[in-house]
Amino acid sequence: MTVESGAATTAAPALDQPAPDTPDQAGEFIQLLTPEGERIDHPDYPLDLPADDIRSMYRDLVLVRTIDTVAISLQRQGELGIWASLLGQEAAQIGSGRALSPDDMVFPTYREHGVAWCRGIDPVKLLELYRGVSHGGWAPEEHKFGLYTIVIGAQTLHATGYAMGIQRDGADRGEAVIAYFGDGATSQGDVNEAFVWASVFNAPIVFFCQNNQWAISEPLEKQSRIPLYQRARGFGFPGLRVDGNDVLACYAVTQKALQAAREGQGPTLIEAFTYRMGAHTTTDDPTRYRLASELEMWKLRDPIERVRAYLVRGGLADAEFLAEVDAEAKQVGARVREACRNMPDPPPLALFDNVYAEPTTLLREERERYAAYLDSFEEAAGR
Amino acid sequence: MAELKEFKLPDVGEGLTEADIVAWHVKPGDHVEDGQIIVEIETAKAVVELPCPWDGTVARLLAEEGQTVDVGVPIIAVEVETPNSAERPSVPAPAPAESTPDDEAGAHSVLVGYGVKTSATTRRARRTAAGRPETAEVPTAPEVPIEPPELATEPRAAEPGVAAVRVLAKPPVRKLAKDLGITLAALAGSGPDGSITRDDVQRAAAADTGVRSADSGNGSRTVTSATVPGGEERIGVRGVRKHMAAAMVSSAFTAPHVTEFLQVDVTETMAALRRVRELPEFAELRVSPLLFVARALLIAVARNPLINSSWDAAAEEIVVKHYVNLGIAVAAERGLIVPNIKHADAMALPELARGLQALTETGRAGKATPADLTGGTITITNVGVFGVDAGTPILTPGETAILAFGQVKDTPWVVDGQLAVRKACTLSLSFDHRIVDGELGSAVLRDVGSMLQDPVRMLAWG
Amino acid sequence: MTKLTLSRGINEGLRKALENDPKVLIMGEDVGKLGGVFRVTDALQKDFGEARVIDTPLAESGIVGTAIGLALRGYRPVCEIQFDGFVFPAVDQIVSQLAKMRYRSRGQVSLPVVIRIPCGGGIGAVEHHSESPEVLFAHTAGLRVVACSDAADAFTMIQQSISSDDPVIFFEPKRRYWDKAEVDTAAGVAGALPFDQARVVLDGADVTLLCYGPLVRTCLESAAAAREDGRSVEVIDLRSLSPLDMDTITASVRKTGRCVVAHEAPVFAGLGAEIAARVTERCFYHLEAPVLRVGGFATPYPPSRLEEHYLPDLDRILDAVDRSFGY
Repeated sequence: MTVESGAATTAAPALDQPAPDTPDQAGEFIQLLTPEGERIDHPDYPLDLPADDIRSMYRDLVLVRTIDTVAISLQRQGELGIWASLLGQEAAQIGSGRALSPDDMVFPTYREHGVAWCRGIDPVKLLELYRGVSHGGWAPEEHKFGLYTIVIGAQTLHATGYAMGIQRDGADRGEAVIAYFGDGATSQGDVNEAFVWASVFNAPIVFFCQNNQWAISEPLEKQSRIPLYQRARGFGFPGLRVDGNDVLACYAVTQKALQAAREGQGPTLIEAFTYRMGAHTTTDDPTRYRLASELEMWKLRDPIERVRAYLVRGGLADAEFLAEVDAEAKQVGARVREACRNMPDPPPLALFDNVYAEPTTLLREERERYAAYLDSFEEAAGR
Repeated sequence: MAELKEFKLPDVGEGLTEADIVAWHVKPGDHVEDGQIIVEIETAKAVVELPCPWDGTVARLLAEEGQTVDVGVPIIAVEVETPNSAERPSVPAPAPAESTPDDEAGAHSVLVGYGVKTSATTRRARRTAAGRPETAEVPTAPEVPIEPPELATEPRAAEPGVAAVRVLAKPPVRKLAKDLGITLAALAGSGPDGSITRDDVQRAAAADTGVRSADSGNGSRTVTSATVPGGEERIGVRGVRKHMAAAMVSSAFTAPHVTEFLQVDVTETMAALRRVRELPEFAELRVSPLLFVARALLIAVARNPLINSSWDAAAEEIVVKHYVNLGIAVAAERGLIVPNIKHADAMALPELARGLQALTETGRAGKATPADLTGGTITITNVGVFGVDAGTPILTPGETAILAFGQVKDTPWVVDGQLAVRKACTLSLSFDHRIVDGELGSAVLRDVGSMLQDPVRMLAWG
Repeated sequence: MTKLTLSRGINEGLRKALENDPKVLIMGEDVGKLGGVFRVTDALQKDFGEARVIDTPLAESGIVGTAIGLALRGYRPVCEIQFDGFVFPAVDQIVSQLAKMRYRSRGQVSLPVVIRIPCGGGIGAVEHHSESPEVLFAHTAGLRVVACSDAADAFTMIQQSISSDDPVIFFEPKRRYWDKAEVDTAAGVAGALPFDQARVVLDGADVTLLCYGPLVRTCLESAAAAREDGRSVEVIDLRSLSPLDMDTITASVRKTGRCVVAHEAPVFAGLGAEIAARVTERCFYHLEAPVLRVGGFATPYPPSRLEEHYLPDLDRILDAVDRSFGY
């Protein structure tokens, strides 16, 4: 992988990925907190967060990672059918998630457990989907957080349309939309169409791409010859790349982009350059297609470690605080475990609900027949 | 309180059937926590770490490193110290799919889901009889009208050959046969491709013998409750009775019936009968007035062919038959049937006698075949056996005339201007006035009467 | 003869096809390095190279669209759609282009493209991973639609599909990927049952049970249980959904007089409806009962904790058989 000089725009066939330990020379790899936990400044993103906020972010990061780990463990115990881990992407999600104002609308994929956390969604609700109890257990408008979308990229169009709705509701609403998607999704037609629509309609939307380098087994170079953030230029709106493992940078960049959207400046593409530390899902086996050394390299850029280092070195958090956070994490983990294991199955006839606004004759008939059929057995079916 | 729990090797969603224990991270006596990694297992050339589901103390390791374990088999026993847990219904690991010893190590990654559950290979026991046909109607009310369960008839054994012959019939015909208790397999079909038609079934039902399936009830008197003096009794209308009723209705309301009567002095016929009985040709045969009435009618038909015909509404034609399949009304146990003698016109008298005898015997015994019961062209009914003189008989459907004769009794008669006592009986001829006018009908009746009055005429006219 | 899983059976068939014809290509998401999420293309990129076994960008429409282009250029692409529920972005290319090109060109253009789709439920998965969209494709003229049910059939049918000059939608029952069967991998396909014909997989006398893909095994299990009830069930694996092998179906129903069709897809407007109409026409006088259908409800596929209620199982299938005998 060669590092390209910032001026070249014509295609040299070589890939333009910054080596993992070097920020992009064009300076668009925005970073405010180094992997070692050192605070650096960026001229475009003056950030002066109170220590409380950063401590709070740290807590969010730890709790979200704990929940993720517990979920993986639950899957291993057969309590979940599957889990899509966000391991390694916590900063991108907590950072961007905390930049949202309460009225902003989020359109997630199926991995934004950290953003869900920021939106106040009980993690147990997320487990419902992965346990197979429901297809999504929350009301989008209640939390301003859409249902998880498993079809890759589809939500970007929904997000764009929603943003167009905000426009029609009046410019003074001050609401914006954020659409999450991954690097693989940028190849889907839907995502590119969303870029078209958002740009020509100047929609108040932030496209937040977590480039975690892998789409199941396919590395980024299978999806793009050019850094993803540079795609936006082709569509006519700003794109920038942020260190996806830097919670402060993600926060600052997202905040600014959301503000721009609110102010009628249209869409921004944020590429959060991060890494999928875990597998695509719990039954993927990454050892089949990537090297352990790569994983080791990224462990050195861990999003949580650097915040802890920063807090401790700066005297902003002591051992007591850290212990408190760990204790809370353990508690949350235990609660999630317990809630998951006790999650009741939906009753069989629930499968007929909510197909239409009002059930059709056919549905009523099928439901009644099936109820009679179930009743006709001496014993209810065991699980 | 401590409880010994066994952790079974789960299917980690890979469609796993087995896994190898790679390394234990704990040993007996170790304290373990919910979520703590206790073992590494190998599946699909990847190593998966399994967390403990409980807080407790390791009691025993139930599988060794290097051992291949089936999914669902306990691998570790843990003394669990939870004070609060009631037995939680935990999700059992999905049962393993069939695994064979020559599996590659582990199965393959499914990438999604809990994996494949094994399905049941036996039926769950049901409370109610199965086999309810669903109603075609869509209920709008919450209640679904449930049809009374119709138990399957005995399933046909899968013997070679038994299933080879298929009965062909349209659904409505099958239903009719079922309602009438007719087994389709015993019928010959007159429809396309040999399929059985509604008519075939109805004719079979008229005979209603030996072709019935086991569990139907036909036209029998079913006293549904003890007869209460002054109360009511209900008799089911099924089978032969039902068919008889249908035939009567069909005939009566299709063909305009006219009945003509003729009282006949049959003294000579009765004398001739006695002499015929003594002839060797008639030694074993039953010779009754019916024989002579039949012969007379056959001759009358030859002289008046139009009386032996049928009305084909579809073709708008009258079909005159130049053969006579002579139907005789027989009171079988289950009701009136009309078997017929084929080509009675071509029979010599002894043969005719034999035919009549056989017919009445089989008819009364309930053994008339469908062939016997179809194809008749004209009918005789003996109402005399009931002790009456005359009647207004209803045509057999498909025929143009029916001749009834009453009891033969001593009657005051004028002979050569003098009052005498003669054997007389009344003939009643009903005919279809679309085909037969009064002149023809009268001619036929007169012919029959003449022959019965003077049997020698049969020699002249036959 | 070797005992192979269904997944492996397809793998071996693909391998044969790649060996026999240099124009055969395999393309899809994660098919190369990973060998496919179900390992159906395992080791093929290693042995045949990246030019022939292609890891594509993440876009189903792109996969099928570029496959069409490759076919126009003389290649025989075998596309993989990773899961049934993800085929829909590709449906425009499939329906508007792939299916119609021969017709549009009056026979000048042939598009021998195979689209492999793992289908069906019963694996406890999240949304979009348990669909049965076969009838959409069966309803589209110009496409052949087939469904394998065991390793031996999969091995031959994939090769036959690749050899066909027509576009083929090839459904693979994902919950049966690990079922094993004896496969003669040395045998050529010349003697194998043509892939447009149905197969009587179990002889019977009392009722004809039609099925395909994942339910073939369920129907065989049902037939075995029915034997306990004294019923002899004839099970037919349709194999080809479009075109339908009506001769085999008709001969069977004329023999038994009763017919039940089972599929995971919803009953309403499912393939069973087409079969019922045709069987009724051809076997009217032979039928003791109407053709009955067992399948999914008129709902979206439910969350996995409810899928056992949605999917036809042994009890539901035999209930339909009972109802047939109730007429």
